[in-house]
Amino acid sequence: MHFLKVERLCKSFGGLMAIHNLDFEIEEGEIVGLIGPNGSGKTTTLNLITGFLKPDSGTITFRGEDITGLPRCRACQKGIARTFQLTKSFLNFTALQNVMVGRVYGREPTGNLRVAAEESRASLQRVGLLDKAEALAKDLTLMERKRLELARALAAKPRLLLLDELMAGLNPGEAEEAMQLIKQIRDSGITILVVEHIVKAILGLSDRIIVLDYGEKIAEGLPEEIVHNPRVIEVYLGKAHA
Amino acid sequence: MGRKQVIFIALLIAILVLLPVVVKKDNIINLALLVLLYICLASSWNILGGYTGQTNLGHAAFFGLGALSTRFLWMSGWSLLPSVLAGGLLAVAFALLIGIPAFRLRGVYFAIGTLALAQILYITVGNVFSDISSLRPQDLATYQLVPRYYFFLVLALLITGTTYLLVNSKLGLGMMAVREEEEAAESLGVSALKHKLLALSISAFFAGLSGGAFAYYHVGYYPRFPFSPEWTFDSMMMVYIGGAGTIIGPIIGALFFVVVRELLALKLVELHLIVFGILFILVVLFLPGGFVEAWKKMQAAFARRSKERGVKVSFQTTDD
Repeated sequence: MHFLKVERLCKSFGGLMAIHNLDFEIEEGEIVGLIGPNGSGKTTTLNLITGFLKPDSGTITFRGEDITGLPRCRACQKGIARTFQLTKSFLNFTALQNVMVGRVYGREPTGNLRVAAEESRASLQRVGLLDKAEALAKDLTLMERKRLELARALAAKPRLLLLDELMAGLNPGEAEEAMQLIKQIRDSGITILVVEHIVKAILGLSDRIIVLDYGEKIAEGLPEEIVHNPRVIEVYLGKAHA
Repeated sequence: MGRKQVIFIALLIAILVLLPVVVKKDNIINLALLVLLYICLASSWNILGGYTGQTNLGHAAFFGLGALSTRFLWMSGWSLLPSVLAGGLLAVAFALLIGIPAFRLRGVYFAIGTLALAQILYITVGNVFSDISSLRPQDLATYQLVPRYYFFLVLALLITGTTYLLVNSKLGLGMMAVREEEEAAESLGVSALKHKLLALSISAFFAGLSGGAFAYYHVGYYPRFPFSPEWTFDSMMMVYIGGAGTIIGPIIGALFFVVVRELLALKLVELHLIVFGILFILVVLFLPGGFVEAWKKMQAAFARRSKERGVKVSFQTTDD
């Protein structure tokens, strides 16, 4: 049994095929990178897995259970948490309250706000944001908000974590920090799917990489295989370089 | 809640309880009753509009249904409390009936949809029940204002207390998360529809009870009157002027609204409409948090200035 299995997934918007017959698997404990040029269907794939979009056809199986087309609030309860490409913080909440939503609802829901607050502080500490616990989310910097989204997703106790361009907009130093953090999260037993636009950021991080172009999988393999794959070089740099 | 706040609230309740004992003038008690009525309506609107972020422009429908059914049941021989409770439950039933389709609409479309439904009800009730509804002669003979005042006081305390408990609970956190960022809330396991329906039901229940209290209070009115859209818009304005999404905001808003309206009505009959209209626009544009935010900003400014002078002053916010 695969941890996550995507089979013959299709999704079109009007006449545009955003995802076409996509197949892939993720095994428990992996960091899998999902890359591809703009508009290749990375975020759409993520939205399909988390129920933010309903596929036209195909199935998504998570830990042996068919989760295709579940309402989007159910994915998190099943143990699939995500972050957003453009941060979606609860702006008028404090950082702590942001994280508490994940803890209180999430995979192990609780009505005990006192305990949830304590555990949420631990999540904030994990991403190095504990000193901002009482700050309002709208007063945080972009980097801090990205960390906050991560803390919030972690507080939901996911089994699978989907990161949508977590590193976009960060400077090289910050991106390096983020990569270390992602590795630590994996080492704590959470499987990770990373969507990135920047190839370089993902090579050092992923155990395995899946490359999309126009909604189809064009390559899959170890990072060193991917960088030498002619199709991949072609879609990124044009035919002349392949 | 801090100690100062508990003392403040206890004092406020004591004043409200003792008011009819000390002040014997009916017109003053009546004015206080109106403030309480508007606290009930504004606070109930606030649960969905302020805390859950869904602008419901059909609030009068719940108030009207509560009034209509309470008046009917009570005058046909039911005792008062079951009649009022039935009014609240009828409002909830209607809320669930319209809520499921209405919440397929978002933002301004939800606002328009709820307004349209309430207007349909307003016109229909006006056509079906066109005769004035008056209290029975035996009720009129024994009519007293003070029990009506206490009825509204208990209701206002019930609504405010419930709101306080709600917003400090898991469900309140989920409701506010839906208001702040619906997609993020859902990605963390919050069912937006469930929380919106819950907030709408609680909001409708309290508006229905308020309508029931209105039916108990008012001597004679046309049955469509409590369905009139001004109940919705007045409540909404009070919430925004006072401070949406706060406990004390609707209370301040209601007090301000009734007092200013009475003062203006003495000289210029309908001028308050223009005054509140302009004030509402100003608040929405320049002070989205209403009086509560203005107060907090003032405190912050004072605190800064005291700090600069090297004086240590501790302020306690009056908000939840």
